[in-house]
Amino acid sequence: MKVLRKKRRKYPVSRVIVTIAKYSILCIGAFCMILPFFWLFSASLMTSQELIADPPRWIPESPQWKNYMEIPRRIPILRYYGNSLLIAGLGTFGVLFTGSLAGFAFAKIPFPGRKILFRFVLSTMMFPVFIFLIPVFYLMKNLGWLDNHLSLIIPFAVSGYGIFLIRQFVMTIPDALMDSARIDGAGLWKIYLRIILPMIKPALATLGTLTFIGQWNSFLWPMIVTSNAQHLMTLPVGVSRLTLAFSTTETQHLVMAALVYQVIPMVIVFLYLQKNYVKGFVMSGFGGI
Amino acid sequence: MKKAFLVALVLMMVLSVISLGSTKLVWAVHWSDFQVDGIFDEEENLTVKGVQQYVDQYMKENPTVEIEIQPVPFDDYLKRILISHTAGQYSDIYNLYSLWAVQLVDSYILDAPPPALIETVRKDFVPVSVQGSTIEGKIWGVPMEISNYALIYNKKLFAEAGYQHPPKTWDELIDMAVDLTKRNEDGTIHQYGFAFLSGWDSAVVHPYLSMLYSLEGRLFTDDFSRSLLDSPEALLALEKQLELFKRGGTDTAGSVWAFPTGRVAMMIMAPWYESSLKLGFRDDYEETVGVAPFPYLTTPANCGYTWFIGVDRNSRHKEEAWKFIQWMTIELTEEGTTRMGELMARNIGSIPTHHADLDEFPDELNDLYTSVFVQELENTISEPNVAQGQEIKVVLMREIIEAWHGRKTPQQALSAAKREIDQILREFY
Amino acid sequence: MRRDMRLRALSGYGFISPALIFYVFFFGFPVIFSFAASFRRWNMLVPLFDARFLGWDNFEFLLQNEMFLRSLLNTSLYAVITVCASLAISLFLAVLINSARFPVLWRFLFFTPVVTPSVAIGTIWNYLYRPNNGLLNQILGWFGIRPVYWLTDGNVVLFSVMLVAIWAGIGGSMLIFTAALKNIPNDYYDAAKIDGAGIFRRFFSITIPLIQPTLLFLMATGMIGAWQVFDLPFIMGRNAPAMSIMTVSWYIYETAFGSMRMGRASAGAFLLFIIIFVITLLILRAFRKGGYEGFAEKET
Repeated sequence: MKVLRKKRRKYPVSRVIVTIAKYSILCIGAFCMILPFFWLFSASLMTSQELIADPPRWIPESPQWKNYMEIPRRIPILRYYGNSLLIAGLGTFGVLFTGSLAGFAFAKIPFPGRKILFRFVLSTMMFPVFIFLIPVFYLMKNLGWLDNHLSLIIPFAVSGYGIFLIRQFVMTIPDALMDSARIDGAGLWKIYLRIILPMIKPALATLGTLTFIGQWNSFLWPMIVTSNAQHLMTLPVGVSRLTLAFSTTETQHLVMAALVYQVIPMVIVFLYLQKNYVKGFVMSGFGGI
Repeated sequence: MKKAFLVALVLMMVLSVISLGSTKLVWAVHWSDFQVDGIFDEEENLTVKGVQQYVDQYMKENPTVEIEIQPVPFDDYLKRILISHTAGQYSDIYNLYSLWAVQLVDSYILDAPPPALIETVRKDFVPVSVQGSTIEGKIWGVPMEISNYALIYNKKLFAEAGYQHPPKTWDELIDMAVDLTKRNEDGTIHQYGFAFLSGWDSAVVHPYLSMLYSLEGRLFTDDFSRSLLDSPEALLALEKQLELFKRGGTDTAGSVWAFPTGRVAMMIMAPWYESSLKLGFRDDYEETVGVAPFPYLTTPANCGYTWFIGVDRNSRHKEEAWKFIQWMTIELTEEGTTRMGELMARNIGSIPTHHADLDEFPDELNDLYTSVFVQELENTISEPNVAQGQEIKVVLMREIIEAWHGRKTPQQALSAAKREIDQILREFY
Repeated sequence: MRRDMRLRALSGYGFISPALIFYVFFFGFPVIFSFAASFRRWNMLVPLFDARFLGWDNFEFLLQNEMFLRSLLNTSLYAVITVCASLAISLFLAVLINSARFPVLWRFLFFTPVVTPSVAIGTIWNYLYRPNNGLLNQILGWFGIRPVYWLTDGNVVLFSVMLVAIWAGIGGSMLIFTAALKNIPNDYYDAAKIDGAGIFRRFFSITIPLIQPTLLFLMATGMIGAWQVFDLPFIMGRNAPAMSIMTVSWYIYETAFGSMRMGRASAGAFLLFIIIFVITLLILRAFRKGGYEGFAEKET
């Protein structure tokens, strides 16, 4: 988009310096960030001896692709994938659904008690997760959900974090948009569906990514529940079955390979949701701001 | 229609009778992967049995019994027992580290074994493991595994420095450690004469206890009314550890995990480290790794801990559970060993506790590594089965580490530990 | 009008009803249960109401216990420094990436710590932190600084863990900032450029005010999360003196599952809640005072 310039404001040289600085920062930063990630893949192709080496090796001598083949032989990885996908998928959907509904309401619908209820939602995040472990387990037992996927999904289907995030994003949407839609006769549900949701796509994508990752990697709760119901076992718990208690180094290479299995879906979800990072809305032809 | 209905009814009755007659036992184990599933070679033939194979065999011999194995990661084992119990969820059979069991006994969670079983245990099992399975004078399960501590040293590093034999006493160890430590120009150590292990309570406390025992000291009075951390032996044991730091034989950044890379000359370790050493040294394993009895202060001694197998009092099939346990741990197979012993020696690589097993597994137990541990069993003293054992050990560990870092003198560290520990003891005894 | 308001009230409640129902069961019950537990000496092996009643003893013990108090100090330092540094850096990066080519690539690279399992993170950072030829000590060596015992020296270990936490936390915040930045129409920037505003002016006068809600969100949730930190110090700080590195959640966790004192652990959790509650309140108030009424919390 060309903009009329009154005078040349910048010398090309400073622009070049800024660009070089920008990309060097990005490169150095990215390198630091990706080191462990890269090492994980590298380690999954090493032998267990190479993993013990000191100083640590960065590249395997000859890639042990058979490590990946070994995993399905030792643990029922397909079942773990299935369980994890089901649970993280439905759980994320639950968070997005309830979060967007409640977030929209807290941001744009002035109903009595809104302020207090929102503070209440916030306060649910402030309790250490630890407090919920035993009572929720007790609940699950008494509801009979312990041998059921429900015990792994429902306790995480609503998230104060999600409600809070969506609310903050919806608050940045101008009321004028909603008002004009209401004048056109749209009810709240339509407004939610047709106007709000599309506009907070980046927020939904972000919340979806982070929630999915959190639920995908969750270990403590699934371990407790699935130790009594092994058909429900999720991937992180399944991977722990490859770790020997007192000689971790023996199967370390397999654990690394299993972790690669665990990491890949998250990368896919992240990249898939990236397409939603488009500009929230275009202000074309909208006066009054 | 009516006929179909009748057939269904009869079938249901038959099925319910069968299921009434069948028993399901749940065994929670802290093992995983090949320890449970067995070791297979390239052609999918079974080479070493895992827990599953033994269980399958029992189920074949006893068709009305079904046993489900629940592998639980070791770090989460106790946590899972506790959380499950709050909601009334039980396994039938447990592998129990003896310190966990004290609280379980106090809260009436464990089932008392049948008297005949107890008699057999006393007779057939190594005394120190029986001691380890005894809580407040009673035996609460069948010992499975015993671990103790010994000195592991790097023969190559020794040879380089001109040492032919490992140290016999702790003072010798200190001298040799100082000699074997090599530093960089900036003062950091790149070769450790000795490395302590830190990171969890047993790692720090067990070697300390070994030193205490070798001074003929004890940690508690017999009735657990108070700790004896104010005794001269307790103080001397810690001071002797600190001497290593003071004279430069080690520092707080040293770690036993560096041993398989050849950068540590000596360390105190337990039997379970064998596979990591083999992995680290590969073909040089035999020439490099040496094992010797724990270097004592006054008398030879070392600390040991026991795992035993027990039954939950809330189990609905206690008799069947004990029957299975008897089959697994006491009954001798044709080879003259117990099945649990075979699992321990051949698969898991730990030291079994039945006399017959210790006699009959020469290859596994008389190898370079494990033989010294087995031989030193006669000097092993079991760690005390005290209530709140883990809490107490953590307190002691923290104070010892403070002393290692020089942030407290040994007196300050031990008296702080004593204060806290005695307070805990008063709560429970 | 009245009917309109009633309709709005009903719709409002309708929209939040799934969440509310959830909270009754999965929040209300656990909180009450844990609160009851905090007054007893409970080892989880006996029914809760058979456990010995202790009154305020658990709370008293904690407030006088050196380790608990020290862990409060450690955690507060950790929270303040980690959240502030992490937010500043991730905002900077989000802006940078937004104006660079191949944004998806950069975003992914900076996001990788979030998807990397902690075992890999721990291993790499353990290596970087090695006193003997670890990368960080090597770099220090170029400047003639003596080697630091990053993970075993009590004076340094908290800082070392904070560094890793900041590093790991950048990706998530950056993602959220990116979403927020996407919500700012380009027109604003273009108008400012026409008026002659430079980069910094545009940043402080347009970007910062318009991402107020997001800043508030990240600061509040960052604090709430940081105060509950457990994983990183637990994994990396095991070889340092516990006083220097223990955090409140670690203390609570150990009290519950190591010492089997669920009652005392619950009491600790409630104390932690109170602290987090007060701090979050302060943050909310600070943002309201900021004056950006249009985009901060609206009073009904």
